Amino acid sequence: MKAKKIVSMILALTLLLGIAGCGQKAKDSGKDKEMTQGKTETEATAEVTEIKFPTFLAGENVGAVFFLPQVERFNKKYEGKYKIVVEEVPQANYADKMKQLAQQRKLPVLVHAPSSGGIDTQWFHQVILKNDMAHDLSSFAKNHPEVAKNWVSDSVEFCTINGKLICKPMAVLKPIGLYYNQSMYQGKIKDASVEEFIGQLGDHKLAFQTAENGWTSALLLAALIANEEGGLDLLNKNAADKLWDYNHPAFVAAVAKLQTLLQKNAASNSIGAAYADAANAFMSKNASIICNGTWMAGEFAEESKDKWSNGFDGKDVKASIYPGNVAIANPRNYGEFWISNNATEKELEAAEAFLAFRDSQEEVEALLLQEGGNAPKLKYSEAFIEEQKKNTLLYEFAMSMDENTKYVVGLGDVFPASVADIEFGKLLPKLADNTLTAEEFCAELTKKAEEARQ
Amino acid sequence: MSGPYSREKTMQKKISTNTIQTKYYKWIYLFLTPSILVFLFFYLQPIVTIIYTSFTKWDGFNHPQFIGLENYQKMFTNSAFLISLKNLVAWSVIAATLHVGFGVLVALVLYQRPKGWKLTRAVFMIPNVISAAAWAMIYKFIFKDDIGILNNFIRVFIPEFHVQWFYESPYAFWAVTFTWLFYSVIVTLLVLNDLMAIPQELSEAARVDGASKWQVIRQIHLPLCRNAIGTGVICSITARVAMYEQIALTTVGGPGDDTMNIPIILVKSIQDLKYGYANANGVIMFLLGILTLVAVNYIFRMNESVY
Repeated sequence: MKAKKIVSMILALTLLLGIAGCGQKAKDSGKDKEMTQGKTETEATAEVTEIKFPTFLAGENVGAVFFLPQVERFNKKYEGKYKIVVEEVPQANYADKMKQLAQQRKLPVLVHAPSSGGIDTQWFHQVILKNDMAHDLSSFAKNHPEVAKNWVSDSVEFCTINGKLICKPMAVLKPIGLYYNQSMYQGKIKDASVEEFIGQLGDHKLAFQTAENGWTSALLLAALIANEEGGLDLLNKNAADKLWDYNHPAFVAAVAKLQTLLQKNAASNSIGAAYADAANAFMSKNASIICNGTWMAGEFAEESKDKWSNGFDGKDVKASIYPGNVAIANPRNYGEFWISNNATEKELEAAEAFLAFRDSQEEVEALLLQEGGNAPKLKYSEAFIEEQKKNTLLYEFAMSMDENTKYVVGLGDVFPASVADIEFGKLLPKLADNTLTAEEFCAELTKKAEEARQ
Repeated sequence: MSGPYSREKTMQKKISTNTIQTKYYKWIYLFLTPSILVFLFFYLQPIVTIIYTSFTKWDGFNHPQFIGLENYQKMFTNSAFLISLKNLVAWSVIAATLHVGFGVLVALVLYQRPKGWKLTRAVFMIPNVISAAAWAMIYKFIFKDDIGILNNFIRVFIPEFHVQWFYESPYAFWAVTFTWLFYSVIVTLLVLNDLMAIPQELSEAARVDGASKWQVIRQIHLPLCRNAIGTGVICSITARVAMYEQIALTTVGGPGDDTMNIPIILVKSIQDLKYGYANANGVIMFLLGILTLVAVNYIFRMNESVY
């Protein structure tokens, strides 16, 4: 009987201590983790400072093709001094991960800038800036004048808040246009007005998207709005504070045109199409035109021919900006990366070295050759210009922009997060099947934006 | 003589019983402590936090500001929320009738142990081991207009047939419904378990009295499975209250707000850094769960013994 009692007592105590122990362990493991993290993130051995940070520029992301080798180049250049280790995170989960890490005050040293990786500017303002969690890069700019001189002025101005440079500004602009299959469509694009362009389309199909965030459709809509009277200003002037009312005549008129295109010129799989479906429609000759950025150019190279079907040939693809000489670009944004205030001195040094490396002339030119775009303040090397000419698609795209090109921000820059990521795409099928008129669509979108407002 | 003696004995017995009970209570509480601690820290504390923050304006990071019932007022005037409630009622009715009904039917068939019943039970179980997310993706392909098996089959008879099941009204609601409607293995297992526990004598006696097979099912089997069916109804309805993957991976609540539900609104609010509003939605989901529990308990008299 006594033995039973003792055994029972021991069991109960074990259970109880187990629970308490778990709690304690959680705390301890938290500490351990911090310490290990501290160790892995800053392997502050005598020589090497190691930074580990999550990035979505990995795995299947198109940006990984350039970014991961760039990290390798950095590690090689600074071997024995700094080491960057990337943690691969799917793009869709990146923003959530950063939000959680910010809540735990465990942000990595390097974080992608707002408007990339799903990080919204609202969160950046409300959480990061309000709580002074971003490192001031002003001294970095002063210490690296060779890098700072290449930054786009608008971006520098935008990244400077209360005298602090809170993100590394952009050196490269990647204007977004469209691709067309010349074996199917031979009409004018850039030099045509929107009306002429729509008139020339005839039965040609566009690879629209109505699922996910409706990316390819949103791009065309931004260009259509920019072509309406007052549309360019409507979008560009509201990029910083977001646009909340979409009942503006320019917006409504552009949506009406989008509706016509969705009903007459959408590829057969457009309703319910995710990005992969839209790309597939274009690369299987089910659509003559797709709106997308220069990073898609790689899909039309010979190495990607396994993605082609139905007689599609990447050599037939041409690049252009939008009708009315409009390109989508937003120089007034937060650049690429920011450094969190969690960084130790050594980590800061390594992170700044990486940012400087990334914006060096060689790396910027390598990026332009890989992903396209332009570096307006950089004096290109001869070798680069020669090399750029070899990539006809990117060269064509760069050449399609001139001094009269109008740049407009994307809808993702002016919509609040949930409208950009969910509501816009969700309402498109109703526009396509005529359940909503253009006016009703804009009113509904305005209502959704209002609901998203704090 | 026997009176005082027996009273004394009874008293002694009472005292010793009380002492034993007191002793046992000590052990009972000791063993319960871990569970109580788990409940307090992992269930009660989050619930209290959700309820408290639902009355605040909170971005999930900075200090919440108390705003009273504002989140709830906004919620009940939000058309998407009202559509969500309407959808929930419709899905709950479908779940409690068709979904549970199908599960019970399969259980009754399996109970007859027809040839291959074990294999059928295993096959019926398969959808349950596939995640809801994967299942949603499978359905997305089944319902695709251009390459989906359903439309291609229909086009054999009606060549011009084109419907985007997940993206057109009113089909989207039914397309989402089909992603879970026939996967009621939990109900089947619950009911089958109760059916197998029914004493054979009851059915045999009924048959001797001339009851038909249908009468045995209706008058004996189903009433004796009342608790299992009730539990199945609770599980099915609460699964609809919390349904997220099936919608997030197919329609995201669209087209428009046709297939909207509360978890989608909750996640969308978090995306807009409206944690207070998101938690107000969470509170409503919690209350709906409790309401389901109470209502089904009452309707199925689940606190009463079936035997």
